[in-house]
Amino acid sequence: MTGERAIPAARSVGRRRFLLGLSATLAHPVTAVAIRYPDVVPGTPLRFPRDHGAHPDFRTEWWYLTGWLYTDRREPLGAQLTFFRTRPGLQEDNPSRFAPTQLLFAHAALADPRQGRLQYGQRAARSGFGLAAADERTTAVHIDDWSLDLREHVYRAQVVTETFAFDLACAAHEAPLLEGSGGYSRKGPDSASASYYYSRPHLGVNGVLERSGERTRVRGEAWLDHEWASEILPPSATGWDWAGINLEDGGALMAFRIRDDAGQALWAGGTHVDARGVRRTLGAHDVAFTPTRWWASPRTGIRYPVQVRVRAGRFTFETVPLMDDQELDARASVGTVYWEGAVRAISAGRVAGHGYLELTGYGGRPRL
Amino acid sequence: MIARLDLLLAPLRQHPARSTVSIVAIAVGVALGLAIQLINATAVSEFSSAARALAGRADLIVRGPRSGFDESVYPGLARTPGVVTASPALEVDARVAGTRQTLRVIGIDVFRAARIQPALLGLDADLLDMLRTDTIFLSPAALASLGVSVGQTIELQAGLTGRVLRVAGTTAAGEGGAAVGVMDIGAAQALFHRPGRLTRVDLALRAGTDPAALAARLALPAGVVATRVEAEGHDLARMTRAYRVNLDVLALVALFTGSLLVFSTQALSVARRRAEIALLRVVGFTRRQVAGLVLAQGALIGVVGAVLGTAGGVALAAGVLHVMGSDLGAGYFSGLQPRVVVGWEAAVVFGVLGVIAAVCGSLAPAIEAASAAPTTALRSGDDARAFRGLQTPVPGVVAIVAGAGCVFLPPVAGLPIFGYAAIALLLLGTIALLPRIVAVLLAAARPPRAVAGRLALERLRASPAQAAVSLSAIVAAVSLAVAMAVMVSSFRHSLDDWLQGILPADLYLRANDVGDSGFLSVTDQRRITETAGVRQVEFLRRLEVIIEPGRPRVAVLARDRVDEDPEHRLPLIGPAKPGTRDDAPGDAWISEAAAAIQGWRVGQRIDVPLGGRRCAFRVAGVWRDYARQSGAILIDRSRYVAFTGDRTADDAGIWLRDRAALSSVRAAIERLAPDAIETLTPEEVRTRSLAVFDRTFAVTYALEIVAVLIGLLGLSSAMGAEVVARRREFGMLRHLGVTRREIATILAAEGAIAAVTGLTVGAVLGYVISLILIHVVNRQSFHWGMTLHVPWAGIAAFFCAMIVAASATAIIGGRQAMSGSAVRAVRDDW
Amino acid sequence: MLHLSNVRKCFAGPASREVLSNVSLDVAPGEYVAIVGESGVGKSTLLNVIAGLDRPDAGEVMVDGQPVTELDDDALTLLRRHKIGFVFQAFHVLPYLDVARNVELPLALLGVAGAERDARVARLLEAVRLANRARSLPRELSGGELQRVAIARALVHLPRLVLADEPTGNLDPQTAAEVLALLRDTLRDNGAAGILVTHSREAARTADRVLRLTHAGLSAVP
Repeated sequence: MTGERAIPAARSVGRRRFLLGLSATLAHPVTAVAIRYPDVVPGTPLRFPRDHGAHPDFRTEWWYLTGWLYTDRREPLGAQLTFFRTRPGLQEDNPSRFAPTQLLFAHAALADPRQGRLQYGQRAARSGFGLAAADERTTAVHIDDWSLDLREHVYRAQVVTETFAFDLACAAHEAPLLEGSGGYSRKGPDSASASYYYSRPHLGVNGVLERSGERTRVRGEAWLDHEWASEILPPSATGWDWAGINLEDGGALMAFRIRDDAGQALWAGGTHVDARGVRRTLGAHDVAFTPTRWWASPRTGIRYPVQVRVRAGRFTFETVPLMDDQELDARASVGTVYWEGAVRAISAGRVAGHGYLELTGYGGRPRL
Repeated sequence: MIARLDLLLAPLRQHPARSTVSIVAIAVGVALGLAIQLINATAVSEFSSAARALAGRADLIVRGPRSGFDESVYPGLARTPGVVTASPALEVDARVAGTRQTLRVIGIDVFRAARIQPALLGLDADLLDMLRTDTIFLSPAALASLGVSVGQTIELQAGLTGRVLRVAGTTAAGEGGAAVGVMDIGAAQALFHRPGRLTRVDLALRAGTDPAALAARLALPAGVVATRVEAEGHDLARMTRAYRVNLDVLALVALFTGSLLVFSTQALSVARRRAEIALLRVVGFTRRQVAGLVLAQGALIGVVGAVLGTAGGVALAAGVLHVMGSDLGAGYFSGLQPRVVVGWEAAVVFGVLGVIAAVCGSLAPAIEAASAAPTTALRSGDDARAFRGLQTPVPGVVAIVAGAGCVFLPPVAGLPIFGYAAIALLLLGTIALLPRIVAVLLAAARPPRAVAGRLALERLRASPAQAAVSLSAIVAAVSLAVAMAVMVSSFRHSLDDWLQGILPADLYLRANDVGDSGFLSVTDQRRITETAGVRQVEFLRRLEVIIEPGRPRVAVLARDRVDEDPEHRLPLIGPAKPGTRDDAPGDAWISEAAAAIQGWRVGQRIDVPLGGRRCAFRVAGVWRDYARQSGAILIDRSRYVAFTGDRTADDAGIWLRDRAALSSVRAAIERLAPDAIETLTPEEVRTRSLAVFDRTFAVTYALEIVAVLIGLLGLSSAMGAEVVARRREFGMLRHLGVTRREIATILAAEGAIAAVTGLTVGAVLGYVISLILIHVVNRQSFHWGMTLHVPWAGIAAFFCAMIVAASATAIIGGRQAMSGSAVRAVRDDW
Repeated sequence: MLHLSNVRKCFAGPASREVLSNVSLDVAPGEYVAIVGESGVGKSTLLNVIAGLDRPDAGEVMVDGQPVTELDDDALTLLRRHKIGFVFQAFHVLPYLDVARNVELPLALLGVAGAERDARVARLLEAVRLANRARSLPRELSGGELQRVAIARALVHLPRLVLADEPTGNLDPQTAAEVLALLRDTLRDNGAAGILVTHSREAARTADRVLRLTHAGLSAVP
């Protein structure tokens, strides 16, 4: 882990919304070639399996897998694998196979209560030479020996870090859940801030986890997001909160809010699918995040609202983390610190679902 | 105890000047040896740390020819089981446009380098700046040498054009003080027109993987090899070893001269103090104690000399590194700005050598002192009987015969150990035989008419052993100086002759005289050929390839029309067996060094890795090449193009329609790419080459001068000592009516005669040693031959200067001795 | 031949002291004079003043009509070369020259060469009875022989004046007597004046006239 932490490429690995921020800086690259990125247009239908694949023309894109895993002894664990793709708009006219026209980043984390704190690893590469690539036909993205592939409705996630490794098969039983309006997900007051976004909730996980050389079978349930865009975040955003929950009743819920300097929501949104499969798009006024418990990191001193009451339309729940210390300190590389963790959703005194909560921007505005 | 200490110190204190000269001589020897060691250690350590910084945590480095290898090697390496990370790089020694400066530019894949070579990354850099085409990160040394700061721009030459880059930040890649720049590998490939080329791939292996075994498993194209990171510094150390050993030998010579100086000082002192020593014996000192006293004096001189020498050596190393760089001007370590690394082991070794030299120098005098019978020694006028023990010829003859035998032995581990042994033995033998030789020479001399000259000659004839003792240091110094002078002069003349033969064209053009980022494209070549006034152009492509891992890179020179008429165009050595134009394999003309290092013979089939393939050639002949120490292979460019498809060129030799039009043609060609193209006439190439040669040998000149100065100091101090001892004699002569001037003349004559004798012996010995240097040491160290050339005028001038100096020091010594009154001198009796 | 009048000589130093005071002396050509005195009374200094090796502080010294006190160093050297011979207590024979070469040294200085030189050397060696040792080196000779070599050297160039400073000081009595006799005879045979400085009365008796040197000056010894 120590070795991997020094990778500056991970500067942009933070998490999906970090990459949104990175995209903002990328909007003004000092380059001889003027890059035209495609716009995210409402009403554009998503087509599968094509849209499972990469969209290299867009500035940024990610495949983001989070899940609760259980060992044979029913130990709960949180696992995460994210692949980012970005088109920095550099050297696009350079015939060199090394020209960094498409960059790939990956980030894997394991929340293991036995360890008490998050373990993670990172990968970064320019696409090329078959060593790192994001396929345009379906989800098939890899950096060296890290990969995420979709084959016959099963996502296979393979990761090897210095402290853990996993090889997970995540079976999708449902059609993709199109977020926002038919996959058009707005992120700010300006309609330009938007992405194409779909989710794969309730992925049935079956795989192998290796911790310190010890192999364990794991089963569980995961959630996959796939999102691509060219301009997303409003410039005044300082942080964001996001939650994706596989509900026990078979429903699913995604909610996010984008915060300004004062900690107030600049924008919010989400999707709720109920037990009957009825899908409800949540608008900016339907979603609210209210911190109920704060946890201060002993290492950084940053306080995170690790327990949050989320109002998503008519459904309200409170997140309870698998463990408090799911802080990811990437200041040495990406220059930022954030909290990213497996949470239980508690509603009306009982567990209503399992999922992930992301809290960013609490240690000050991320330096990008 | 105090009395004993007094006995020890008094003789040294009594003649402070002489003791000082001995100490200085030992100190100089120690300082030179230590400085050479430190300078080299510093250079190798700087290089190694720079290499380590570049290699980072890599276990293996895959390298190919200097021009690089195809990038398709890279993914295969990255996927090899056991390889954790493969980090590709393209290194170019880019010329800073419009200057003679170069910048080592390393194009990296920041994502790969981050995993094993974090030092290469820009410090606090914006990731995007590390991926742009127009940005570069410079090491602090590069910022300093280019005189730019972050945010400013630099212009590098690529091909024949300049490209402007923004300095986006600094990199720690230049940890060893190297001036380097880091940029994106894709940008570098485009910038320097090296599409698809890499120069190295650093591999980090999975823990527990054996690098050597993995290296052997890799399927690499011809001429591309994987080496252990640790080997990087070793290769350099090996490359410079012959040069360094040469310098070390010079330092040892300085130490040897110092030892001889201690010997003559101590021997003369013992002779002069025979009565005093006899008195010690009479009052109860044992022989052992007397000998111990003399040895202790030597050791004291040695210790003081060693301490001063160590300090001097460190200072000298620092000074030399500051002024000349760590290669002492030999051009091995360019681009490094080193700080001296003080290795205490080396300091101790050379300090101990200094003490040993001084003690050894005192050995014979100690034995002499111990063996003197008290009764005879107490008699006056016995001085001349001293040193009779030195006159047995057996050891000298044995040493010389053994030395002669050593000349025929082969090198040891690539070093001319036996050549140096031969020189040492000849030197020792001659010194041992010096009393005999001096006696014979003086006996053969015709006595001059003038009374002063006669007296001087008679005096020297009467005690050749004593004269020999005084002369030993100067003989050693002069012989080595003459030997070096003859060798260097032979080398310089051979180089000059070679340059004149090997530059037949009217004008030479180099696209990359500095660095390797310049080249001539096919278009450039056409424009040069079509320049008005140009009759014919021969283009040359220069490469450096790895023939065998662990051996230095060999230059491949692909020149137009080599197959047409090589024999009249090359300084061939030995018989040649050229094939015809259509023969396959084609002719390869190899340099002496290539023949010696690779062990190739004329007629042999050899494989030369070109463009990643093994290309077969046949050795057609061996030619003399002073330019490339690691060897060179000359082939026809059309064959090179056929093998590689590479039509670019580095150099051009241009023949004019009319020689008179030189300046206008030259101007026209340089106008094709101002600042990027440099043209030189053969005469300018020659001047420049000789200037480089002189710079390289400047250090050896300096060392020679130091050695000779020490020898001269020794002679003058010995003569000064004599004069003091002979104050009574001069007092008597004054009574007899000899004027002061006449006494000065006697002294001058003695000095001159002694100097002539020493110089004669030194010159003859030096000539013989120069033959060993030329035919044994140089051939075995550097693999090239040269024709003997004796710089008569220089040596004659040097000799005249030495004779004048010897006479002058004798007179000065005499004047000091004569400052007391003649009256007191005659009464100065014990 | 030699004329000294009122010669005074002081030695400078922390305690300046007058060594010679009011010394007056006349020596006729061919006359052999002995000067005796206690150690430290200035006998050698007197010889040095006569030879021009020390300059007197006052008084006049004339050697063969030449004013020694007014000559420069080179002229004095030439005066010694031509007209004065020296015999030292410590012999001062050059160790690296054989006997004949040592004896011929003054002749060589005067440019006398060839047959004449050889004849003169042979004659003097004969006179000091060393003809058979001409090719010997000094280290092969006894003290008495060495001093005889010195006497031969002092007279070979026919000087007008020979100055002998304790010539027998390093010799045993019998050898001393022989050497003194030889010195006297050789002086006489060559017509040279001589001054013998000695502290020995026996030695002094070989001279024509004996003077005693005291701090008060020279006085005749009966």
